[in-house]
Amino acid sequence: MKIGKLIRLARGNLVRELGALAVSAGGVALGTGCLVFFLALGAGLQGVVNQVFPVSTREVEVVVPQLAIGNLLGEQKIDDATVQKLRALRGAAAAYPKMQLRVPAVTRFSGPFFGRELRMGLEVVATGLMPELVGEDARMPFEDRGESQPIPVVVNRRLLELYNKVFAPQRNLPRLTDSMLVGFQIPLELGKSWVVSRSLPDSQETSMQLVGFSERATLAGVSMPLAAIRRINRKYGADADTYSSVLVRAQSADDVGDVAAGVRKLGLEIDDTERLYAVQIGAAVELVTLALSLLAALITVLAAVNTMQAFYASVRERTREIGVLRAVGATRGDVAAVVLAEAAATGLAGGVIGVVLARLAGALLDQLARTGLPEFPFKPATFFTFHPGHLALGVGVALLAALLGAFLPARAAARLEPAKALTES
Amino acid sequence: MSAIELRGVAKQYPPREPGSLPQDLLRGVDLTVRRGEFVAVEGQSGSGKSTLLHVLGGLDREFAGEALVLGCDLRAVTDAELAALRHTQIGFVFQSFNLLPALTALENVLLPDFFGDGVPDAERRAREALDRVGLADKARARPAALSGGERQRVAIARALVARPPLLLADEPTGNLDARTGEGVIDLFRQLHREGMTLLIVTHEARVSHSATRVLVLREGRLHADGAEAVETE
Repeated sequence: MKIGKLIRLARGNLVRELGALAVSAGGVALGTGCLVFFLALGAGLQGVVNQVFPVSTREVEVVVPQLAIGNLLGEQKIDDATVQKLRALRGAAAAYPKMQLRVPAVTRFSGPFFGRELRMGLEVVATGLMPELVGEDARMPFEDRGESQPIPVVVNRRLLELYNKVFAPQRNLPRLTDSMLVGFQIPLELGKSWVVSRSLPDSQETSMQLVGFSERATLAGVSMPLAAIRRINRKYGADADTYSSVLVRAQSADDVGDVAAGVRKLGLEIDDTERLYAVQIGAAVELVTLALSLLAALITVLAAVNTMQAFYASVRERTREIGVLRAVGATRGDVAAVVLAEAAATGLAGGVIGVVLARLAGALLDQLARTGLPEFPFKPATFFTFHPGHLALGVGVALLAALLGAFLPARAAARLEPAKALTES
Repeated sequence: MSAIELRGVAKQYPPREPGSLPQDLLRGVDLTVRRGEFVAVEGQSGSGKSTLLHVLGGLDREFAGEALVLGCDLRAVTDAELAALRHTQIGFVFQSFNLLPALTALENVLLPDFFGDGVPDAERRAREALDRVGLADKARARPAALSGGERQRVAIARALVARPPLLLADEPTGNLDARTGEGVIDLFRQLHREGMTLLIVTHEARVSHSATRVLVLREGRLHADGAEAVETE
């Protein structure tokens, strides 16, 4: 039986039994709609987690163990030789050392700040990064240009989010964007601290210039070129030879295990605090998504049972018609195909309706979140990520549920003896 | 070559209640129908007429004995081969028309085209068949919009669209008024003149009078064969 003819034959029956099949399609739509909705919600929330805790699958942060015996004795350190060893580890592609600013520094600002008068003073915490690590995140040169020039800094984008969603509303300060801030300069006093006892005798006034936002930048303060940090530390007699941590990039995600093993052999440790946060929250999101998806799957199973009952009733009502089909030359397979084609159409309709309903529900909830929820850091524009795969899965599950539901009725229809079917009243 | 050959065909229905005897619907029927014959099968209700028709049409395979229809051994062929036989070689007309309500008259006539390898030049043939039964202008009408006579004529057009050599009809005038029934009988006569083999189950004398041969079934047995009766008269 050709597919075009099958569709024409099934279409007539579908139109006639629209009411009963609409109920079946509605059940399928509800189940698959819930499935797509929950999967999209899970993916959306996972996206938020990834935004808050960006974790690279190829990179590890290497630090000196806090409780290492060697460390207590002052032997454990990360110097250039250690960085070379890390670069040489099996599976390692690159190693980027980081160094903290080891002298006190403050910033004092008093003046117009994007339309408002602002007076503030802050201790500056800074970390030195290699320019290659910041890369194109810096929209102006990120390199040390000597004492007389402003020190370029990059700031973690998450700090800007916290400023805009928490700090600015509380202090009635303007909300800021990347483009507003890049190029902005702020005074910096090296060797000075708001804690008088920490201040050094020969402080130096300079300035910092924001050159970009980068996820590579530290969350606790600002990030400067490594050369600038080394120069300042050396000038004030602080340790300018050892690094506070090293970011090691593996050749691939599969090589991270080898790199981690090599790091441990060197007596160093991997700081995976942020990774653990991401993993734990991600696992919680996955667990909830799984539970809700199972609920949706249960609804879909019930829809399949409902479809089965609807098609059994349909086959019973059409027994004589099935006899006629057999009389004019339909095989058992043809009869089953007609019933399954009707089920497929029901499932497809249910799947498409379910996907559309899921998207509409997502859009509605996003709208409610936009207007009803207060601003908070990392509040997403949408809580849902509708992957094409989810939509295809929704339609596929709907189709499968309808076909499975109609399987037994189709088999029963195919098994009807034509003579008995024709004499059915 | 004969169109139909039955040897000792018997059929039982299982007992309706435990302890009761099985019901004999056909009891050792022997029959030969030559190609081109117009045969009427008479008999009282429950005599086995419809059962015989179902066996001949390959609609019921659960029988004993030997049945050859157009050279095809009905008990030896597969289900798919039997479907192909019904599709291309046998046309059926039923008392209650059995049109599919969701389809138009034309689509109902085209129904055999949906299955197997279809019907060659199906649309043209279907329109010709409708024209032949006088319903060319009703092609787009659905069965609910047709009278009983019109529905039966659509059913006859459906039986003719594949141009089968054998037409089996079960009480085709049973639900029609006298005038409409006469029109259907005229059509059967015309088909017979064109060489088609017809076997019509009926209890109406006007149908039997048009046939070249009349069989009478009583309690599942072939009680009388009009061809033999004519020869003896």
